[in-house]
Amino acid sequence: MTVVQQIPQPAPVFIEPSDALPIVSVAVCFRSGSAHDPDGKDGLARIVARMLRRGAHGYGSERIEESIDALGAEFAADVGVSSSTAHFEVIRRTLDPMVDLVATLLARPSFDEQELGRLLREAEAELIEARDNDRGLASRAFRRTLFEGHPYGRRTSGKIATLRGLGPADVRAFYERHYTRANAMVIVSGDVTEAEGGAVAERLLAGLPAGERIADPVPPPARRPGRHLVFVDKPDRTQTQMVIGGLGTDAHDPDHTALLVANTAFGGTFTSRLMQEIRAKRGWSYGASSRVGFDRQRDAFTMWTAPKATDAAACLALELELFHTFRDAGVTAAELEFVQRYLVRSHAFDIDTARKRVHQKLEAELYALPPGYHERYVPDIEAVTLAAANASVQARLSEDDLVIGVVGTHAEIGEQIAKAIPDLASVTVAPFDVE
Amino acid sequence: MPPPVAPSPAPAPTASARRGPYAELVAELNHDRTSLAEVHHDATVPFGPSMRVERFVLGNGLKVLLLEDHVAPVVCLQTWFGVGSRHEKPGKTGIAHLFEHLMFGETEDTAHGAFDRLLEEAGAETNAATFLDWTYYHMNLPKDALGLAMKLESGRIARLVLRDPQVKSEKEVVSNERRQRVDDDVDGSVSELLYKEAFQKHGYGWPTIGWMSDIEGFTTEDCLDFYKTYYAPNNATLVIVGDVEAREALRLVQDCYGGLTPSTMPVEDVQPEPPQTAERRSSVDKPTPTHKVAIGYKGPALGDFDHAPFVLLNEILFGGRSSRVHRAMVQQQEIASEVRGWVGAFRDPALYDIFLCARGERTGEDLLAALDPLLAAVRRDPVTPGELERAKARLELGSLQGLESASGKAEQLGFYETVLGDPSALFDKLGAYRRATAGDLLRVARRYLVDSARTIIEVHPDGSDALDDDGEEEEEEAAA
Repeated sequence: MTVVQQIPQPAPVFIEPSDALPIVSVAVCFRSGSAHDPDGKDGLARIVARMLRRGAHGYGSERIEESIDALGAEFAADVGVSSSTAHFEVIRRTLDPMVDLVATLLARPSFDEQELGRLLREAEAELIEARDNDRGLASRAFRRTLFEGHPYGRRTSGKIATLRGLGPADVRAFYERHYTRANAMVIVSGDVTEAEGGAVAERLLAGLPAGERIADPVPPPARRPGRHLVFVDKPDRTQTQMVIGGLGTDAHDPDHTALLVANTAFGGTFTSRLMQEIRAKRGWSYGASSRVGFDRQRDAFTMWTAPKATDAAACLALELELFHTFRDAGVTAAELEFVQRYLVRSHAFDIDTARKRVHQKLEAELYALPPGYHERYVPDIEAVTLAAANASVQARLSEDDLVIGVVGTHAEIGEQIAKAIPDLASVTVAPFDVE
Repeated sequence: MPPPVAPSPAPAPTASARRGPYAELVAELNHDRTSLAEVHHDATVPFGPSMRVERFVLGNGLKVLLLEDHVAPVVCLQTWFGVGSRHEKPGKTGIAHLFEHLMFGETEDTAHGAFDRLLEEAGAETNAATFLDWTYYHMNLPKDALGLAMKLESGRIARLVLRDPQVKSEKEVVSNERRQRVDDDVDGSVSELLYKEAFQKHGYGWPTIGWMSDIEGFTTEDCLDFYKTYYAPNNATLVIVGDVEAREALRLVQDCYGGLTPSTMPVEDVQPEPPQTAERRSSVDKPTPTHKVAIGYKGPALGDFDHAPFVLLNEILFGGRSSRVHRAMVQQQEIASEVRGWVGAFRDPALYDIFLCARGERTGEDLLAALDPLLAAVRRDPVTPGELERAKARLELGSLQGLESASGKAEQLGFYETVLGDPSALFDKLGAYRRATAGDLLRVARRYLVDSARTIIEVHPDGSDALDDDGEEEEEEAAA
């Protein structure tokens, strides 16, 4: 049972005690992420978070790392579109000194200029290495095209050019504005009592200024009209990573749950239509799936496959046909009944550990989900009717407005891929090292 | 080909079992059962300070590991088979993995596709994995789905039906998996080449996913032969962790698996790897932006006394940002973007494999020139007490993290039972880490970090990544 505590700081704190293992997990999450990167400063939020462990209150980077390891702990700082999170996991017996250390990292970072330079060079090298990841390249091409000019189209890790423009003043300014008690949430799970968890949260936040809660700067993303192919050209590809999609759902949509259920039948399980038609019947792709994600605003609907290069055009054409049928005829009563049973019965695995349960609380708070979003999950799934499921597909997913991201060798399959997509509005060919 | 041997008889009930806490239960369960279905309590095995694993054996040789864990209404059911890619032959590589895929197909009792459909409808999550020494099948289940899961799982062990169209289609799927994991993936292709060069006799030298030409060549007959040879109760361990009671779980095991007959397991025609006496080097060109180098030193087997100190040494060299190699090559010299090391966890001696990724124009030679003095230092001088304590603390946390869920516990139990014959060996390892001294680490550094017994694969960029000065190229856009 998650305990919600009100402590003097205006920061929500969620605690999920469990004595299953002698370890404790803690996360301090600030309601600001890459969406808050200033124009031309892509990657700043992530750099700020990564600087936390590189010097604080007289501790150098090496001493911090050695202290974390000596305590039997792990520390990480992650940044998403809407959040910056410092989290750690520690063996119970060394919880206290670890809390002291992390409180210092959060409240008194030194942002040493030499360390910043070193981190920026490291981050630049990581961006270059990311070009080895074809699936990542497909995802980036898709998102920067679908969300062109919108914060959801930005890369959380920035671009080489924007990283080169970041300096100590940027880092300090972002930190001072966003790393405050009013902008924070804390989750504690594992081998602590409710009182101990509350005390941990208080100590972690104690050194931060009161500050103010930062508003979400992200407007609802606009639909990008037409069908757009962005082809990432990379030599020697024997396989083609493909993502097809458009705008999807917002957690506040009245048909949000209906769309989640319908999508599960289309591409959300091993027996879904996409998996059956593409993998089971034809063997065209190791994986075939679809997803409707969400953030604070509407995010993307995506279909993913990775066929052999010579099957790519046919696979793409089949996906478009399956998507057309999905929109046109929806799911069947039998499919709906099946996925409702699957979603309700497998819900046990969404909440089988203390860490998962407390993260649901954090997610609800961070994304301002409708009240009872997770608590009502099972009855909401059960309440979806066939008409509602199919109406949600019609209302939210578009066949006319699609982005198709492909990673392959353009000279070999570019023409066939473009031909497989009727009514294309634009084709963009991007070198794989464009970012 | 060595002669096959008869399956080991199931252990007879011991005196302690007759008097032990399960004596009454076992007697009750075995009432009116055939000898193959009779269950015997083999041992109670401590699993860490607070958990106890009960090991049972069926008359047909099936081992059952049971860990009751009532924190959530879920059960993890895993079936581990003592067959992996090491048991294959040249020309037939990848069949253990292909067969793992085929196990999700038709049986005499269920149509093609019904296995996944029935389990998904029950809310289950299923998966499987194959590696050098083992294959395992995994199911996360709501507690009330355990009976269905066992019925389906035992059904495919005994009554799988293989037909040409399904085998052909699954070969395509596996070929695509290979393209994804190996052919179009720099890390995957380099790792494959490293093991191929390092092992010239032993089965660890061919990839678990198989060579593409072998995958393409498999017939339905090959798959049936493999099935008949290795998929038998006396080559399997059933791991059950979660919200179950022993009586209910064992009765289900008897009902579902008690009718399976044991097979005659072939003696493994294992070819020990001869000692490597000279450094081996290869290189490949890839469409990658930077140089990379993979290095494999011959390392100890998982069950070797040296394994734990070698894992500690690896933590000191590569474990996290305070490790020697990360600090030197990523942070101080800024010549690498990524460094990692891993001590192979296999039944036979395998590799200590190291992967280094260069920054900018730095080459594999530059990386080796920076790495070699760091390895020489751990051969020359003992690690510091602080380093050793930090490595022990990191490994303790890592071991505990793996036990958070029912499936995490099941995986540890099944892995150690299958590879070492001891389901609680994870905690023996933790004890070995705690006892290891700086002298132990010095010994393993000198024993294994031997340049004449290493294999090096260098990856050269093929020049297709042409970065201009501001780090960006332009997209070309045209109206369709």
